[in-house]
Amino acid sequence: MPPDDLRSAAARRDEGVRKVSALTWRAGAAGVICSAIIAVAFGQHAETAAAKSGSAPGTIAVPNQPPAPGPGAGHVTSGGS
Amino acid sequence: MTVGPVAEDSFGVFGTTAVLLVTDSAALGEARAIADRELAAVDRAASRFRADSELTALNQAGGAARPVSPLFADLIAAALRAARLTDGAVDPTCAAALAALGYDRDFEQVRAGTPAAPSAWRAGPVPGWRSVELDTAGQARLRDGALLDLGATAKAWAADRCAELIAGQVGGGVLVSLGGDIAVAGTAPDGGWRVRVTDDHAAGPDVPGPTVAITDGGLATSSITVRAWHSGGQPVHHIIDPATGGPARTCWRTVSVAAGTCVDANTASTAAIVRGEAAPGWLAGAGLPARLVRPDGTAVTTAGWPAEPAAA
Repeated sequence: MPPDDLRSAAARRDEGVRKVSALTWRAGAAGVICSAIIAVAFGQHAETAAAKSGSAPGTIAVPNQPPAPGPGAGHVTSGGS
Repeated sequence: MTVGPVAEDSFGVFGTTAVLLVTDSAALGEARAIADRELAAVDRAASRFRADSELTALNQAGGAARPVSPLFADLIAAALRAARLTDGAVDPTCAAALAALGYDRDFEQVRAGTPAAPSAWRAGPVPGWRSVELDTAGQARLRDGALLDLGATAKAWAADRCAELIAGQVGGGVLVSLGGDIAVAGTAPDGGWRVRVTDDHAAGPDVPGPTVAITDGGLATSSITVRAWHSGGQPVHHIIDPATGGPARTCWRTVSVAAGTCVDANTASTAAIVRGEAAPGWLAGAGLPARLVRPDGTAVTTAGWPAEPAAA
């Protein structure tokens, strides 16, 4: 093959590699963005559900008042079930 | 502000006993109707022993994504939150481990010794809560062979939901106890809601144990003494250590915790059973008032739980 044809083929090959690399990078970036969107959406769902239950999303909620000593019998019993 | 006497209703649900207390006796019927409706919905969504529940359908989906109702999605989200906040000590993927121990049907049948169905479960860590996928499109999927059991959170979550709805729709003060998992909302009676704390929620009023008063949030007790049976000749119980897939080997007989909600209280009490000796420090660090009872009956308290007189 003449030297000019060899250089042309090499240039076309390099151009093809650049295009494939660019496509690969864009696909990867799109995947990362989609993953981030899904993660944010999932987090929002979990926090919404937690808020519905009255619980803070990031910690176990403490009571406004700790239990006080109770006189006499209970209204109700808390135990294993 | 507090109010006077309370009206009471009790009934069976989820294989245990529910107690409903309201400070407005005229509101008891409406409160019971709300509770019945909500508890039936939770049972249809999350029962492990109903062939027609959403949970059963998801467990039988073979790892495929399935649409879930908003209620079931909330129940799954609550279980995943409990797992995250306890670093996986309270894990919703314990269903296969429980079934392998024979707890694959209503507990009354387990207690009666009805033979268990054959199980393919092999002892070892459970698949883990990160195997559970829940998306905003209303779909859930179980990976890695995970099977859901929401027993550690669903009952307490239902108590919170009932108490909140009843207080919001009926007014006054309300206490909902589902097998000893207690949620309160609205205005408490004079002196607060008095709760006897002991091993078994069904024990009589004279059973040993302190009485405490709460005015908000929830109080839950986890115990290895009640939902216990024999499997392969060995005594076992229902609180699974996700790291081993077997019943938690714990230094606590019973743990009671007060928290901002009932589901948070039950999350913490269950995690404390699994964490063993590390539990008092973990509870104190979280600011959670708790009472932990060793097998010999001695108790340790944390974070403002009322001190108990020393044994004579």
